[in-house]
Amino acid sequence: MAYIVGIDVGGTNTNAVLLKDDAVLATAKAPTNHKQLHVGTIQALASILKFMPELETEITLHLSTTLATNAVVEGKGEPTAALIFPGPGRKWEELGLPFKLFTVEGSIDHRGRETAPLDRDQIRRVIKRIKEMGFKALAGVGKFSSRNPQHELELEDLVTNEFPEYLPVTLGHRLSGKLNFPRRITTAVLNAGIAGIQAEFAEMIREVRERYKIGRVFILKADGGSIELEESLARPIETILSGPAASLMGAQALCNEIKNAVVIDIGGTTTEISLFYHGEPLAEKEGAEIFGFATLVPAFFSRSMGLGGDSAVQFDGKEVTIGPRRDGPPVVLGGPRITPTDAVVALGKASIGDKKRALTALEAMGAPYGINPTAMAEKIVDAFSQKAIKTINKIYASINTRPVYTVSQVMAAEVLEPDLIIGMGGPAAYFIPKIAKGMGVAYKVLPYYEAANAIGAAASRPTVTLTLRADTALGKMVIPELDEITEIPRPFFFNLETAKEEAIKKTIVYAERAGTTVEPKEIEITEEEVFNMVRGFHTIGKLYTLKAQVKPEVRPIKTCGC
Amino acid sequence: MEKKKQLGLVFFPAFDWAISPDHPEREERLLYTRDQIAEEGLFDHPAIEEYRPSVASVQDIERVHISVPSVQEVITESHLIAAGGTIKAAELVDSGETKKAFALLRPPGHHAMRIVHGSRGFCTINIEAVAIEYLRKKHGGKFRCAIVDTDAHHADGTQDIYYNDPDILHICIHQDGRTLYPGTGAIEELGGPGAYGTTINLPLPPGSGDAELLYAVEHLALPLLQDFQPDLIINAAGQDNHFTDPLTNMNVTAQGYARMTELLSPDLVVLEGGYSIEGALPYVNVGLLLALAGLDYTGLVEPEMPRRLLKQRREVNEEVVRNVALLKEIWSNRKEQNLDQIFGKEEYFQRKSHIYYDTDNISEVQFEQILRCNLCSGYRIIYSTAGHQFGQTTKIAAVLIPWHACSQCRNRAEEAYQRLLQTSKLDFIYLQDPERERYLKK
Repeated sequence: MAYIVGIDVGGTNTNAVLLKDDAVLATAKAPTNHKQLHVGTIQALASILKFMPELETEITLHLSTTLATNAVVEGKGEPTAALIFPGPGRKWEELGLPFKLFTVEGSIDHRGRETAPLDRDQIRRVIKRIKEMGFKALAGVGKFSSRNPQHELELEDLVTNEFPEYLPVTLGHRLSGKLNFPRRITTAVLNAGIAGIQAEFAEMIREVRERYKIGRVFILKADGGSIELEESLARPIETILSGPAASLMGAQALCNEIKNAVVIDIGGTTTEISLFYHGEPLAEKEGAEIFGFATLVPAFFSRSMGLGGDSAVQFDGKEVTIGPRRDGPPVVLGGPRITPTDAVVALGKASIGDKKRALTALEAMGAPYGINPTAMAEKIVDAFSQKAIKTINKIYASINTRPVYTVSQVMAAEVLEPDLIIGMGGPAAYFIPKIAKGMGVAYKVLPYYEAANAIGAAASRPTVTLTLRADTALGKMVIPELDEITEIPRPFFFNLETAKEEAIKKTIVYAERAGTTVEPKEIEITEEEVFNMVRGFHTIGKLYTLKAQVKPEVRPIKTCGC
Repeated sequence: MEKKKQLGLVFFPAFDWAISPDHPEREERLLYTRDQIAEEGLFDHPAIEEYRPSVASVQDIERVHISVPSVQEVITESHLIAAGGTIKAAELVDSGETKKAFALLRPPGHHAMRIVHGSRGFCTINIEAVAIEYLRKKHGGKFRCAIVDTDAHHADGTQDIYYNDPDILHICIHQDGRTLYPGTGAIEELGGPGAYGTTINLPLPPGSGDAELLYAVEHLALPLLQDFQPDLIINAAGQDNHFTDPLTNMNVTAQGYARMTELLSPDLVVLEGGYSIEGALPYVNVGLLLALAGLDYTGLVEPEMPRRLLKQRREVNEEVVRNVALLKEIWSNRKEQNLDQIFGKEEYFQRKSHIYYDTDNISEVQFEQILRCNLCSGYRIIYSTAGHQFGQTTKIAAVLIPWHACSQCRNRAEEAYQRLLQTSKLDFIYLQDPERERYLKK
């Protein structure tokens, strides 16, 4: 029997759920204390554990917390300097990154060959300057470091020996095997900045571990997988945006048979749209974007539109315009301007606040054009659905015309279409049926279930992703996430099978570090590229680029609430 | 309203297509380019929007080519995507969706001529011409375009397609044909009787570098473009003038390419050749993207840059300066030129040519007649005999009705087609009439 506690630290409330295997035993909640996130977390933990039937059994704790997200959004991280190896190419001054960048010599090319060595004396001088300027954290990022992390590793070595106050230094290559220097810099700098906050949080959890009989602790990541608390200290940035991930994981845990669904989460100010593709949440192509920062953090695809239950409504006699502004609460709750929520209340589909106020305001809005309050309310609900449908169609159109790089993909012209609309969030119940009708798609509204996110967190499993790059012409194999640069002993005998075996083997090692034991069959190769290298009409070798991952997966959860 | 993007990028590396496994035109060609663009964060840049290529239709191809025996039998899907991608890029600019566009794709097209028996110079379908004809059709013939081809090889295909077309200015700057495939592109090749002077060739001596290329663009291409006032400027951007290219003997650098692109400021850039896939393409393409997106490219340096090219260059080669001056003079006087001195006084101008298809090993002989007409550029008849590898020959004839054909040329072309249908010696007889979208084959 395994007991799991899932806790979701949300914007308003912190929700907790106690699972025994795949059954929900209890839920609990406490208000989120934004000044001291851990206080609410501990409160929620304490209250849920009152329902624990076997007091002597250890529990596993799964957390989805806005800690990292808030730290990034509110700029609470420590002042961080980025030491970069830009090499020749785009002017680093033009990268438009809002961080302090310090450049040093040393460059690597697209195949991972060193084209200019680094200069340790120069690095020493630069770090001394960084120190004098008062920076508290350090990130080191090289162009093409995911193809060859040698320079970043040498930097870490130098920091360890001479500037230990800057440990742990965040190195770009460990956070992603992808190619995108500006995003790698952003990811590393944010990571370095919030590492201290994550460490404090871990310390707090450690303190209560004994008291509450907590065994292993996992933190939810933006890609719906989780990471062991200790491992998250080195890569806290991966835990940003875990809230939206928790919702999707919750939806998946509570609904069965999701194939190509569009998930519409309608909030007060914004509506978040995410997609399922063949039963799995669609991922962002490059990585999460948070507060204008483009990162390489693996995350679920999500688009936000300025349309919510509290959005301001305007009417010029012909067109109803909704959002993106929010001027306050709905009129029924004493707000200054008509909102979609008021329209819903006026139509009698919800009872919130003072319905009379809504009718009066709608009367004032429609009267000059001879429109009665009910018709006006209908118009607003229609406009709301139309705006949502337009955005959803645009999202699908852009996904269906995503650039692809092979003849077979262009000719196949696969078209993704929603087969189900899943509505979430408070106002969803009133708008989703209209949106679904407009799109001609079936729908399902998840009843407002506060514990859904906590269930999503609890149902997640530890995941890792790694990149294997083998260049048989150079005889080199690189796995950036694991700091590995190895010689390929017999390049001639290296083939796709060897590459896959190697990737799977290393993923098992990596997963162990992230806190889970996996079988080879649980690992999937998500990307594989093989190219023949020909020089002067002779084949000189092959290039393999593989991505392997332990799949984010949720266990179906039985509950009486859905 | 979303702000108009500076640059639309149609990137299509065709990672699953090669002419043959060891051929320069193979899967790997744009791999390192993709990596460099990705690592520089340019797919992500707010000024750049990436688009998926369209797939060209058979009719899009028929507007340009007489394909023997048929479009479907000379092409692969990759050609339809490369042509469709170029159409997509052209359409982005034409519709105003983006200010500029870059069709960074393969396979290339500028050696593909009007008549296509197979593939030559790695090209089967002339992708620039397909895009031009698409736009010309869209605008009902009211469309003038200039192509500045800066591939190291002479764009003999594009020249062949437009050499008698007064609405399309083709300026081709390339390594001297006496030293490189396909051998043509001499300064005297100036277009047919219906379009004299709208074909311009500037051969550069082997060893030419940034200085010569930039001089040619600044002192020849720019003044001619200023004068011609086209609706669209295309740069057929081969990248084989690079100092690392294995097939040519030139010394242009990525900086030189970027500067050239900035100077020329084309609306549409289309990748042509360039086979230094690791040493040149990643850097040249990033240079082009930066220049087109209005970003600073001066930090770009190839790792293999030899010392001699880093130094400030010597003066521009004298021969280039002389030839530029000569071509400008020809351009200025082209309308006063007595064409009878060049094309004779016969009713039909006739030319005979031998065309070799290196890629497919086909040898073609063409005999062409162009009616000397004062009202339009004149209808044409082309007789073509192609000898294939194993002794099999194909004989065809094609009647071409140009855009804005006068009624007399139109009637005579129809008569000629009917007459040809009576002959039995030919395998196929074609009629190409883009103005009315009639593409007949018997």
